[in-house]
Amino acid sequence: MTFDDDVRDLYQEVILDHGRKPRHGHRLAAYDVTAKGDNPMCGDRVEVFVKLDPDGAIVETGFEARGCAISVASADLMAETVQGRGKADTRALFETFRELVRTGKCPEHDAALDTSLERLEPLAGVHEYPSRVKCATLPWHALLAALDGTREASSE
Amino acid sequence: VVAFALDKAHAHDVATLLDRQGIAVRAGHHCAEPLMHRFGLDSTARASFGIYTTHEEIDALATALTRVREFFT
Repeated sequence: MTFDDDVRDLYQEVILDHGRKPRHGHRLAAYDVTAKGDNPMCGDRVEVFVKLDPDGAIVETGFEARGCAISVASADLMAETVQGRGKADTRALFETFRELVRTGKCPEHDAALDTSLERLEPLAGVHEYPSRVKCATLPWHALLAALDGTREASSE
Repeated sequence: VVAFALDKAHAHDVATLLDRQGIAVRAGHHCAEPLMHRFGLDSTARASFGIYTTHEEIDALATALTRVREFFT
C-alpha cells in the first residue's frame, strides 16, 4: 500500500477540505450560548457559539478553533449536522457519532439521524488512530457544554 | 531533541503522517504550555535523536516531512 492510499482512510478529501476551509469557522455576530473545549495535553482548542430558537433548537453554530485538520473538520461537519436539532437530539447524534469514531461502525440509531450520520461518516477512519479520537470529539464536548450551560469542556 | 512546526500542517497531523511512514515523533504541548504561548504556537512536533540514530534515518525524516507538506498543500 502506498503512503497516500494508507492515510486517505483517515484524511479523506471531505476532511482535508473542511479542515482547510471550514464553512462555519467563525464567531457568530449574535449567539445565545457559548463554551470552550480544551485539550491541554495536545493543544487543541475550540470555542463554539450557538444561536437558538425560542424552543431551544439550534439555528446556527459557529466556532473558532486552533487545532489539527481532524478537529477543525469535525467541528465544521458538526455545525452543519446539528442545525435544527434540540438538545436531546444533538446528544443522541453525538452518542452515535462517538461510537462511530471509536469503533468504525455505525451503531443502531434513530432513522432521523441517518442523513447527518452519512455526512459524518468520513470521520469513521479515526477509529484506526486511537490517539486522534479525542480530536474528533472535542468540538462536540464543547457544543454540549454550551447547551448545558457549562462554559468549558475538556477531552483529555 | 528538535521541536518544530510546519506552516501547512498541525503537529498532530504531522505526527500521524510520520507514524504511517514508520517514524515516531511526539506532538503537542510537551508539558510546556507557557512556553508554547510565549512563542505563539499551539503545538509542535518533536524528534529525538540518539547516539544510535543513523544518517539514513535523519534523511528519511526529512523526506517524510516533505511528503507531509505536499499532502497538506
